[in-house]
Amino acid sequence: MKDIYILGIESSCDETSISIVKNGIECLSNVVSSQIDIHKNYGGVVPEIASREHIKNITVVLDECFQKANLTMSDIDAIAIAYGPGLIGSLLVGLEAAKTLSYLYNKPLIPVHHIAGHIYANSFVKPLSFPLLALIVSGGHTELVLMKDHFSFEKLGSTLDDAVGECYDKVARVIGLPYPGGPLLDKLAMEGTPTYKLPHPLDDESYNFSFSGLKSAVINLNHQFEQKKETLSPKNLAASFQKVVVETLIKKTKKALLDTKCKNLIVAGGVSANQGLRQAVLKLGEELGVEVSIPSLCYCTDNGAMVASAGYYAYQLGRRADLYLNSKSQEELK
Amino acid sequence: MTVLYLDTSSSLFCAAIYQNGKVVNQVQKNLEKDMSKEALPLMKKMLEDVSISPNDVDKILVCNGPGSFTGIRIGMTIAKVYAWALQKDISVVSSLEAMAISNDAPVVLPLIDARRGYVYGALYQGEKEIISNGYYRLDYLLEQAKSYEPYQIISNNDFPGLTKETYRPNFQKIIETYQNREAISPHLANPCYLKQTEAEEKQNA
Repeated sequence: MKDIYILGIESSCDETSISIVKNGIECLSNVVSSQIDIHKNYGGVVPEIASREHIKNITVVLDECFQKANLTMSDIDAIAIAYGPGLIGSLLVGLEAAKTLSYLYNKPLIPVHHIAGHIYANSFVKPLSFPLLALIVSGGHTELVLMKDHFSFEKLGSTLDDAVGECYDKVARVIGLPYPGGPLLDKLAMEGTPTYKLPHPLDDESYNFSFSGLKSAVINLNHQFEQKKETLSPKNLAASFQKVVVETLIKKTKKALLDTKCKNLIVAGGVSANQGLRQAVLKLGEELGVEVSIPSLCYCTDNGAMVASAGYYAYQLGRRADLYLNSKSQEELK
Repeated sequence: MTVLYLDTSSSLFCAAIYQNGKVVNQVQKNLEKDMSKEALPLMKKMLEDVSISPNDVDKILVCNGPGSFTGIRIGMTIAKVYAWALQKDISVVSSLEAMAISNDAPVVLPLIDARRGYVYGALYQGEKEIISNGYYRLDYLLEQAKSYEPYQIISNNDFPGLTKETYRPNFQKIIETYQNREAISPHLANPCYLKQTEAEEKQNA
């Protein structure tokens, strides 16, 4: 069978990333230009600054990607683009680049949903086997999705308010951690003990999540201590918060696994880099005899390789977009 | 020489293709929100209609602003990637420069509304930039321009109390004037916003 090479372009937020992936599973180059150091100065991603950085970087990243893979555009079978959801100004730079290459070289254009990309980041662990349950945890998403086949997404539940990654960043700010606070909070949690009592949000039988109440509880607790002129232990607060978040995610994931009798669990999205969650998910897998897949750390954050991998399977299914493709800031997983 | 001209810095999509000394095809279309969707297909059709393939183009002349931040990036991304991929020459033209050169008046004041009493503007005598491209308070710019009266204001926006002519791009003149501008690396062909982001302004305040 002929090898298929997919170019994947990702610019949804503050990373310009372009990759070439062979047959959906072998990453030949994955170039990521991160803007974290710039946005750090503002305590979060500034959309207009992100867009300005993307356009400065786009051809530089393209160049490096092809050099590393030692390939040229003529070797590429199709171009996969993360067209949404994300920051619209950021998405547009990747989109126009993908459309331009598709036009210049007359190569198929494959539209890829950003979260589908995160799911397919697990292809680099091993090819997905179905049915599988995907726990999607990122700055914009918290969802449980059942997949019976490639690109068949059945949403079982999702967050009713804040996404888990968003909650991590907000709580990190309360603790006084610099942006991006989520990974630092995780690290801090590993050093502390969960001594503070925090509510378990939406502790019900649904597959849904809610994190805004938990965030408020942390803010209130911090406030109470300030009024009493006592100091909270940041590492113990981090540990207490992390424990509740992980227990909530695991509880709903476990219920979904038991109800669907799924024997495969994958974790996807930026928060899958969280060490506390990674350990808990592996333990759950052992307990239930379920095979667990979590992307290696380099594929947890936004990257072009995951888009190229998803693009490969979408290509095989005949999914194509024409040059009228537009970016979407919001979009249902499909 | 075959030159591709592209300007997506306002809601008016402008593109032209120039071959053997004359514009052989052109497009002007008001796109508002659809710029990202339609810019590339429109450019493709313009070239196909005169049987010019991407590789036939020798040079890309692209407007790098000022204007709509998102708009500028659409045309600039297309131009940068095009020039990088097919190793074509690329040069940038200011949108104010394009507006000024399109008009025949001896002194021209091109203006783009930047809201809250501010404009992107410049003053040109032919190709010569008398007041440099900048982000100005409108009243300040008019004061500065006073000694060069009479001048012709060119704009696609309305400014109360000011008489202006609507911008009608003269592609032949724009391309003839700027086609020999020195080519730059596609990596360094970047937008010229003339204005910091609000976050940067706040931080520098």
